Amino acid sequence: MHDIASDAVQFIDLNTMSILFLFVVGFIGGLVSGFIGSGGAFVLTPAMMSLGVLGTVAVASNMCHKFPKAMVGAYKRYKYGQADLKLGLVMAASAGVGVQVGIKIQEWILATWGQAGSNLYVSLSFVVILVVVGGYVFYDAFKTQKSGGEEKVSSLAQKLQKINLWPMMYFKTANVRISMWFTLPIGFATGMLAATIAVGGFIGVPGMIYGLGASGLVSSASELVIAFVMGFFGTIKWAMHGMVDIRLTLIILAGSLLGVQLGAIGTTLVKEHMIKVVMGTIMIIVAVSRALAVPQYLKELSLISLGPTTLSILSKASFAIMCLGLAVGAFIILGAMWRAKRAEAAARAGKYAIEQA
Amino acid sequence: MKDQQNKDKKVAEAEILPFSMSQAAADGRSSQVKRKILVVGKGLGFSLGVMDYAANLAQRLGYDLIGMSLNPGLKQAGKFFSPYNLHLRAKFTQRARAAWEALRPGLLQHGIKGEHVVKFAELTEAVKDLNHQVKRIDFVITDAGIRSEEITGEISLPVFSISGSGGEEVMAKEPVASRRQLLGKTIALGLGAVALYAAVFMNSGTVMHYFTQGGLYATLPIITVFLVSVVHGAFAHNFWTCLGIEATKKVQTRIAPRPVARRRPRPQLRLHA
Repeated sequence: MHDIASDAVQFIDLNTMSILFLFVVGFIGGLVSGFIGSGGAFVLTPAMMSLGVLGTVAVASNMCHKFPKAMVGAYKRYKYGQADLKLGLVMAASAGVGVQVGIKIQEWILATWGQAGSNLYVSLSFVVILVVVGGYVFYDAFKTQKSGGEEKVSSLAQKLQKINLWPMMYFKTANVRISMWFTLPIGFATGMLAATIAVGGFIGVPGMIYGLGASGLVSSASELVIAFVMGFFGTIKWAMHGMVDIRLTLIILAGSLLGVQLGAIGTTLVKEHMIKVVMGTIMIIVAVSRALAVPQYLKELSLISLGPTTLSILSKASFAIMCLGLAVGAFIILGAMWRAKRAEAAARAGKYAIEQA
Repeated sequence: MKDQQNKDKKVAEAEILPFSMSQAAADGRSSQVKRKILVVGKGLGFSLGVMDYAANLAQRLGYDLIGMSLNPGLKQAGKFFSPYNLHLRAKFTQRARAAWEALRPGLLQHGIKGEHVVKFAELTEAVKDLNHQVKRIDFVITDAGIRSEEITGEISLPVFSISGSGGEEVMAKEPVASRRQLLGKTIALGLGAVALYAAVFMNSGTVMHYFTQGGLYATLPIITVFLVSVVHGAFAHNFWTCLGIEATKKVQTRIAPRPVARRRPRPQLRLHA
């Protein structure tokens, strides 16, 4: 990474539209994050950049908002009995290492292939991971829905849990007993992905579900703990370089603190497998969005050739679809919450109907 | 582990059992303790018809009345005492109490001193427990919401169910005072958050200058963000609560385990009140 501190950092001027925009995106990002444990970050950074914010400032300000939001979300879901603190902290430890390695890889790619190469690397990672993992999560959610909503521990997790490799760890809330060694790769991958595409949870949450055997609820809740730890240390680093635009952070935070609590409440209202549904949906839509951005970087690397109009259309479409992905996720969450509330009210009304002798 | 469970249960229920009853039970002066009728209701309220009948009966017999509100949905599952479960129990207790208080004037009219108990257990277990704790319960009247299958042979008291009653439930409305308190708190927090934001944005020049100096100045944005999270976070929580959007325990459509004990056919006395 080039020496940031020596550059004169330009901070944008804010107007009403941009404030409103950031607030709304922050709210939706918080809603999704509170529900599936991650997300929002990958929209917020490009959203800020579309307002003209410098890339590094966007990442720094986003991270500065992420850790308090994750803290509030994790606290709420801990109160609901969903967050496994020990699991989150154990994973955060290996995630920290993953972040450092991820940054190193990014730096090497930047040095070897320049900015375009770096962007291509990021986008390809997005597409591959989101399609593979997101597709599987979505398929699993579909299967669970068909079988009547009963979440089962994956066969891989069952096998791994049976392997007795010292040291064994027991995670109370998750009700998982597994060797510490199996938490390492998942945590590491979470950190590496966070450093690459800014959303570690897309590997972390499915990893905890399918690799360790924790439920969707516990995994998404514990992911918030990991996000808090990573965000906190990441912010310290960025803030020490003077990269945090506190105004952007606070505006986003205003929306996301509202959203994250709503999302957390939502997890107590809807069926458990909905988390997988939302996660899978968002991941696939965002994968499409990122795939549309790939051609631009290929052209910049002179690997293919494309006209400027095509590029412009692709770039706009990419951004729009990404926002759509988040909006769809929020829509599903709110819809599920609404239905759950209606069902609850109906059940309560029905309870007081007296049987006539 | 079972001891710990029992101990926890006793701790949790110590506050729920009215002092007078545990006092009387401890006294053991059975001759001076009135006999009691136990009315069992599921959920927050009691049907007016059933309460009316029970009150009349108690008055005629010279008995006392105990109202028991049951919420088997919040009974302790597993070893882990969830703080959220405790919180839900406290809420349920508070509202059930309020519903009982609304009935109290009616009972006083009949000259009855009524007591109220809240239990988080299934019917059989709750009645057995209470019978053990409080002596002199002569018989039990079940409220409308309780099905006859739940009344098993394990209860050593006569159990009657009333049918044909009006079925109006006495539900306490959320006490008006506490709603206003919540609204006040929310507005105060909201104003606090607005003040913090105003402080930052009206001095954005100075703020931005210091917050982006780097090095030790890094603590500035971090502390600011923590502060805002506490105030605005609390506001956000109360905001959703004011709108009635709160976390609930998910409705588990689990079938209650059927009592395995031998089921002697109980004489079901159906009283038309």
